[in-house]
Amino acid sequence: MVDVRKIDLRKDSIGVVSPLQADILKGLWKQEKSTVRELYNTIKNKKKVALTSIAVDLDRLHKKGMVERVTENGLGGPHYIYSVSKSKSEFEKSVLDTTVNKLIEKFGSVAVDYFNDRFSSKNRKR
Amino acid sequence: MITECVAGLGVEYAKLLLVILSLSISASLILLLKMFSMSTKAKIVVIYSHLSTLLFPLVLLTTNIGCASVCAACYTDVSQLMGLAIPTTFLVSTLAGFVAIPAVFVYSNRKREIKSGKIFQFVKNSSTGLKIKQPKIYTINTSKPVAFSFRNFKSAVFLSVGMFDILKWKEVQAVVLHELAHIKQKSSALKLSTFFLRIFSPISILLRFHHTNTEEERKADAVAAKIQKTDRYIKSARNKIAEYEKEFYG
Repeated sequence: MVDVRKIDLRKDSIGVVSPLQADILKGLWKQEKSTVRELYNTIKNKKKVALTSIAVDLDRLHKKGMVERVTENGLGGPHYIYSVSKSKSEFEKSVLDTTVNKLIEKFGSVAVDYFNDRFSSKNRKR
Repeated sequence: MITECVAGLGVEYAKLLLVILSLSISASLILLLKMFSMSTKAKIVVIYSHLSTLLFPLVLLTTNIGCASVCAACYTDVSQLMGLAIPTTFLVSTLAGFVAIPAVFVYSNRKREIKSGKIFQFVKNSSTGLKIKQPKIYTINTSKPVAFSFRNFKSAVFLSVGMFDILKWKEVQAVVLHELAHIKQKSSALKLSTFFLRIFSPISILLRFHHTNTEEERKADAVAAKIQKTDRYIKSARNKIAEYEKEFYG
């Protein structure tokens, strides 16, 4: 489950992560598997960013369970190969799921009544 | 008989004097280290002696209890007690300092040994060039860029996966050369000794002794720069590691 504390609803945002983490996730959704340096080479074309910032954010995403990593031995030594744990739609669904649960937790029956009313077949048609 | 000797245990001036003398020597050694600049080897000897004299009262106490529990002559004869306590202290501190703690340290840190590839070959060639025995190379499973070396009966260099992730090959080489220089200069042993000092010596904290390894680091950097004929790789490696830490700790 994705940890939702605040949601960023700006157009380019993917909701619950920082802008750089969003770029990293987008890069991983596109490339499936990637090293820190490969992601850096993709992202640096779009914005000015340090390789170390990407390495730190990848580690944070890994700790949050949003990306997975395996060690692969290359010629010059070992490297982490990162991949996303959820597809983009699974991730977005998870964010929505957590958010709705939190709203119900916070506002109780008011939230339940609201969702019933808002998404009842009658109102959905409208 | 046994009960009698154990029950007779109490504060004896001769033994108390030994404890005070040992702790005084221990404190003097730290002051010596704080006040005078000395070679790496001398520093290690002083730190080791400081920790041994700090351990001595504890060994004396346990030996005394041991002698009392079997009512041996060493219970009443201080010279016999010392004859047992001094070699025991020496044995315990040697085993702990040079075998047990380093073994735990190596075991807890090693994840995977590198036995082939470019990095293995580089360490092999560089060790020959530096005239040191080839150390083992281990990788540590962390994304933080970490590198350290260890000199014991078998030397070892530890490199984190994160270091390979953020450094270029020439920078990795610079870091490896830096660590090999530590092994050659015995400064990895000094770094480990100062680490023990921080953990086991309350006297060093009381006397505000804090040994910075700046000089040893500078010397190891100089070796890497000399071999690579430039200091740009060791400097850029240092900058990247500092940048990562700054970013990581906010």
